[in-house]
Amino acid sequence: MKLLLLALKNITRHRLRSFLTMAGVAAGMFLFTAVETMQHSLATVTKISADDTTLVVYRENRFCPATSRLPEYYLPTIRKIPGVESAIPIQIAVNNCGASLDVITFRGVPPENLQRYNPDLEVVAGSFDAWLQRSDAALIGENFARRRGLKPGDTFEAVGINVLVAGIIRSGNAQDNNVAYVQLPFLQQASKVGLGTVTQFNVKVDDAARLESVASAIDETFKSDAQPTHTRPEKAFFAETAKQMVELIGFTRWLGLGAVAAVLGLVANAVLLIVRGRVKETAILQTLGFSRLMIGLLVSFEGILLGLLGGGTGVAAAVAFFQWQSFTLGNEGLTLAITPDLTVLLKGLVVALLLGLLASLYPAYRAARQPVIESLNAA
Amino acid sequence: MAASFIQIRNLTKSFKKGPNLITPLQDLSLDVPRGEFLALMGPSGSGKTTLLNLIAGIDSPTSGELVVSDRDIARLSRAALTKWRSRHVGYIFQLYHLVPILSAFENIELPLLLTSLTRAERRVRVEAALDLVHLADRAQHRPTELSGGQEQRVAIARAIVHDPDLLVADEPTGDLDSESAGAILRLLRKLSTDHGKTIIMVTHDPKAAAAADRTLHLEKGQLIEQTQPATSGP
Ligand SMILES: Nc1ncnc2c1ncn2[C@@H]1O[C@H](COP(=O)(O)OP(=O)(O)OP(=O)(O)O)[C@@H](O)[C@H]1O
Ligand SMILES: [Mg+2]
Repeated sequence: MKLLLLALKNITRHRLRSFLTMAGVAAGMFLFTAVETMQHSLATVTKISADDTTLVVYRENRFCPATSRLPEYYLPTIRKIPGVESAIPIQIAVNNCGASLDVITFRGVPPENLQRYNPDLEVVAGSFDAWLQRSDAALIGENFARRRGLKPGDTFEAVGINVLVAGIIRSGNAQDNNVAYVQLPFLQQASKVGLGTVTQFNVKVDDAARLESVASAIDETFKSDAQPTHTRPEKAFFAETAKQMVELIGFTRWLGLGAVAAVLGLVANAVLLIVRGRVKETAILQTLGFSRLMIGLLVSFEGILLGLLGGGTGVAAAVAFFQWQSFTLGNEGLTLAITPDLTVLLKGLVVALLLGLLASLYPAYRAARQPVIESLNAA
Repeated sequence: MAASFIQIRNLTKSFKKGPNLITPLQDLSLDVPRGEFLALMGPSGSGKTTLLNLIAGIDSPTSGELVVSDRDIARLSRAALTKWRSRHVGYIFQLYHLVPILSAFENIELPLLLTSLTRAERRVRVEAALDLVHLADRAQHRPTELSGGQEQRVAIARAIVHDPDLLVADEPTGDLDSESAGAILRLLRKLSTDHGKTIIMVTHDPKAAAAADRTLHLEKGQLIEQTQPATSGP
């Protein structure tokens, strides 16, 4: 504790130098946290967990909503398959199938079916009834609304489709927050795929353990139909369909590593300079009876403080940035909201602390082992 | 007669300097009774600082016996020596060597950070030390805001705050005007007489040496005694 205070005082000694070091650390940790936020956001939609119960039925060998076409009349058949709890046909219209930051996704669903299938949808503005009453009405996710600056009563146009915002919805499922729900027949006509054709079915199974067996049963049922299906757990579907996005985000991992290496080098250099510039003073502390351990700790604390103060700033800035910006990545009609969360924040802080410690190990060792007499005589 | 506070027998210290072996102290013996104020003189390079560092335990002898306060510190490990130093020795440098970013108060407090004293207890001790060196009103000043003489008094306060029995001073007045030097010498004299500290002071200045109880000359690795009357300080 006493040493920590001393270390803190030491940092204020070369204000500009400490500030520059911390600014560099902050920039590096900002980048690291940005990358981690993307990785984490992707993981939450692609990492399959044991309690997942949603399946996506897609046209076999198709990867874009524009080309996946399935007959709507599959619905009653799917509902009868053992283990299926509920199912909903969805028509998807998207302005851009490639990986993009500005993607608009329409999801057409049978209006009477939406709330039953998706009971945790919460209407935060406007009303559900207004959506039911007009065929060209849309319920838009809150991220989508924020990004576009839309509120109930507004109209907007995308992919050649004009809609009226009836309400804004919030859902525990991040996908829902980034799309516009419209009535299925309306979208089928407006997007010219024609009535009776949908992009996919989303199916809920009654028991997570039966996810795979129900998926096989569905595909088996339509195997010899004109439009065979490929059914996967929702997260696997996401991982396989939004391939470009997954690869892109996977690549950013290297940027994160690079940022970490840069921070390490920066702090190590700063702490080494500190130790070099303080040879005599360290010798005086040693003369007073400060042990090697204490000298080493003093140096390490300075490194850790530099890492933690700079890193904390960078991490907090990154978290605030993504909170405020609400970026959404889209690919093949699927959207990924880049949202920061507490684990990313904590991870950033722990990494900053460890980097500070790691960077000061060698300088601390150097300081602790310097010979007292020679150092006292040093200029 | 009780054993001396410092007992040095056949002390030798050599340094390797490239291919050469320098031996500034050769077979040196010395006794210093408890409470004595001893001045060490001698030409430059005669080994005064080397001897002082050995007695203060910041260096170890090549051979010989070095007993301080009944402890043969020549045989202590480096870690044990560090600990011993923090309890028993106060070191006063020629150039004060205060930590520039710390106030006078905080500089004096440094040795106490190595003890288990509470903050409040440390405060009492530091304030007492500041009083003793007549700098109570400068507690919050940084070293750069003090004169040389004041800096040296802070350094003395730092050397005595943890109440060591041995004070070593390497040319403590070497960098001061005669008035400041006089104040420092009176202070050391007082620490010896009133507080019973054993003091070893290296000096080039005969007037400074006159403040001590006894003066020894170091020449060619050996000590030559030359007692002086310790009646009047400079
Ligand atoms: N760490 C060291 N390594 C090598 N040689 C040293 C070391 N310390 C001292 N010496 C040598 O030992 C001799 C005595 O040095 P010392 O510093 O004790 O002299 P001194 O009497 O204090 O001189 P001065 O009056 O100039 O301070 C010198 O020749 C010096 O070069
Ligand atoms: Mg010397």
